[in-house]
Amino acid sequence: MTHSVKRTWLTMMVALLLVAVAAGCRRAATDDPAHRLVSGWNRYCMGDFDFAVRNFNEALVRVPTNCLLRQRLLHGLATTLDLRRPGEDPVRAEQLYREAITIAPTNDLSAWCWLALARMKNLPVSGELADLDQQVRAYQEVVDRFPFHPAGEEAFLSQQAARIEKPDEARTREVLTALETFIRMHPQSPWLSTAYSLVGGCCAILGLPEKRLEAALLELKTEEMDPLNTEPDMSGIYWKIATLAEFETGDFALAREYYRKVMVDFPTDQRVFLAKQEIAHMDDMESRIRQEGGER
Amino acid sequence: MIRDLIKFVRGNGALIFVAVVYLWSAVAILSYRKAQTPPGVTIELRIGHWQLEAGVRDAFEKMAAEYHTLHPEVSIVQDAIPEGSYGTWMTAQLMGGTAPDMMEIGLGVPYNIQLAYLSRYFLPLTTYLNQPNPYNRGTNLEGDPWRKTYKDAMRGNYQQELKEYMTVPLSQFGIRIFYNRDLFRKLTGLEKAPPDYRSFLEACRTIRSRKDERGLPYTPISGSGYHVGMWDAFMCNPLTYGAVRRADFNRDGNVGCDELFVAFKTGLLGFDFPPFQAKFRMLRELTDQFQPGFTGLGRDEAVMLFAQQHAVFITTGTWDFGSLVEQARGVFDVGVMDFPMPTPDDPEFGRVVEGPAFERPQSSFSFAITRKCKHPEVALDFLRFLGSQPGNQELNRIIGWIPAIQGATLPPMLRAFEPRLDGIWPAMPIDSLGGETTVKWGQMYSLFQVDQIDYKKMASEFLPFYLEHGVQELNEFNRNTHRGTAGVEQMLAGKQERAREASGVEALSEWIKYRQLTAGQLLVRNLDAGLLQKRLQNGVVTNATGPYEFNPELIARVRNHLHAQEKELQ
Repeated sequence: MTHSVKRTWLTMMVALLLVAVAAGCRRAATDDPAHRLVSGWNRYCMGDFDFAVRNFNEALVRVPTNCLLRQRLLHGLATTLDLRRPGEDPVRAEQLYREAITIAPTNDLSAWCWLALARMKNLPVSGELADLDQQVRAYQEVVDRFPFHPAGEEAFLSQQAARIEKPDEARTREVLTALETFIRMHPQSPWLSTAYSLVGGCCAILGLPEKRLEAALLELKTEEMDPLNTEPDMSGIYWKIATLAEFETGDFALAREYYRKVMVDFPTDQRVFLAKQEIAHMDDMESRIRQEGGER
Repeated sequence: MIRDLIKFVRGNGALIFVAVVYLWSAVAILSYRKAQTPPGVTIELRIGHWQLEAGVRDAFEKMAAEYHTLHPEVSIVQDAIPEGSYGTWMTAQLMGGTAPDMMEIGLGVPYNIQLAYLSRYFLPLTTYLNQPNPYNRGTNLEGDPWRKTYKDAMRGNYQQELKEYMTVPLSQFGIRIFYNRDLFRKLTGLEKAPPDYRSFLEACRTIRSRKDERGLPYTPISGSGYHVGMWDAFMCNPLTYGAVRRADFNRDGNVGCDELFVAFKTGLLGFDFPPFQAKFRMLRELTDQFQPGFTGLGRDEAVMLFAQQHAVFITTGTWDFGSLVEQARGVFDVGVMDFPMPTPDDPEFGRVVEGPAFERPQSSFSFAITRKCKHPEVALDFLRFLGSQPGNQELNRIIGWIPAIQGATLPPMLRAFEPRLDGIWPAMPIDSLGGETTVKWGQMYSLFQVDQIDYKKMASEFLPFYLEHGVQELNEFNRNTHRGTAGVEQMLAGKQERAREASGVEALSEWIKYRQLTAGQLLVRNLDAGLLQKRLQNGVVTNATGPYEFNPELIARVRNHLHAQEKELQ
């Protein structure tokens, strides 16, 4: 090979090297740990768990210990290892959650890490629920540490939901009392509507129709309104109130009001036909009772 | 030097060949794309769909050209992919990061996978759908939130599991009966299509009694394994509506397969329930009007029988409307009629038919915007253009489908497809509790369809099996709900992080969505299952009232309530 051909090859190699160096420089720009955190979560949300783990891990080696960014990266990595399927690593995930907590034990993210630890212990295995006592204890740890934090409130409601999953009257009474105390003590909680929904569940088990209807009305009243979705579909809760009023408490006026709300606000709903039938059903029942009274 | 070069080429021939081919293909692709792109275009968007019908592709071409006139910098290119490979193609494109900017959603992957894809690879559109569509300016829909301009207010497009609107639908679909007007007139002597079940059956009998020039009897209804489901869904299944009052234990308006089983097991329902008997009796009467061996035939064979004028009626949807009319053009006149439901005074079915069949006015032909799209605002604007009153009218006029937007006019022939919003719906999901009972039901039902066993035999063979195996299957059904918990938590953790990253009103919205999803999918979702198990444990209860029936205690309450009211008035 002559010198000129060799020179051509050499030039090409240098050019390639320059391109590689340029690409490397571009990559350096994305090595910012904060950027990696966002990128890691984006990968997580897209189900690219290997890339998510890589992003979190690569950023973790670049951040100092005991900084809040490190806590967020640890939480991201722990969540990925905890919830990725397949390839989950619950042992490592638990270590990471706990490491994240030690950075700032009382801050907001730590509360969510504690809740994640509780949820890890309660994940059903092969469709079978975890032991109830274990679930109750795991959630209680979060409630004790963060009683007024949304994560603590979520833990409390998860705990009560677990306790009524298999209906048992004595336990359901305890849950009902606990929920009523929660509602009294947490009047500003964003979880109020869910709490009322669980109260309704308890009343269904215990056969308390009046209280169940009241809970459904309060569930509707305390429902959070999404500012970016101002006209949510409320047909489900309207229907629940209407049918409870008609068949559980015999409050036909209230039932008619909520059946009509379904008919007017959601005219394309499948249940509109049944709503019309039920209004006629109630009219018929009332007229028969009136007729009976007249005959007497 | 030249000798050295030749030597070098000889020594590295394979490598050089690969490099040349690569360069050639790169240049070819680039020049092809450049040729496709009109001059002045700086933004090229791709839209992927599975509608290979000529009308759809033409419509997209024309609408894209019109959009280009309004926005000369934008060009829209479509990727039309065959139905059979759409799922694989979509999966490969999304995972490879090479998906088009907009994709049609609803085919090719199971619902749970589709949900995961929507969550991972597509942009939520809730915010934009709650804003007015600028292309509705000057129409009666000006200023209305885009979502509200849809005929169904986009209720069917809300992803309850994600608490988001993810897609923009562009058309509505409907199913009706098509008939050969000329043949119908010739064979029955009638001018108008039979409006009710009895006169329809009578017309079918008359048709069957007539013979063609070869001496073969005419077939009243052209059927197949594909078409029988439509007759079942639109005429027979709705007859089971009465079961809602006996088995909709959670009173959500629908009977679930778990609720139906518990109703059977506790004696609230059985195969002797008149609406169930009616459904199967009607199915038998209808399939008697099909050609023999219809279950073994496919969709195309049934269409051919109709097109060759050996059958008078066929049922199909708006998607086939254009091609059926096209096949009949110049040969015979095609009419469209509604499903002929029994009238209230029908001696056989009048008691159980409480109304016409309800049709969910769901809009589909839905498109979502991928997260990888470099110009999501332009993709959204193009979808706004197609989803505006004038744009949607034009798009559907070209295709021959029903517009999804209010006030968009539709051709007279398609008016028969407007959905019926007031009516009854099916309430006998006996074929979906679990593996073994589903298989057993499938076997029994197939034998019934081909007239090898009657209803009594089908019921007596299936019921003991159902009651015995159903308990285990119900438990497995509940375990399956729990098996999904990890997937739900995975999605919720992503939502939580999104809320943490957001600020202002967006953060508030994201946290609310997180809480609503957590409540619905983790906290209260098992309450109904627990109550159902309790009901199952209580066993058979004689004279039990159904969930939509008044028990004596309630009637006494109402009586007291009314008396108290009357006293107050006095």
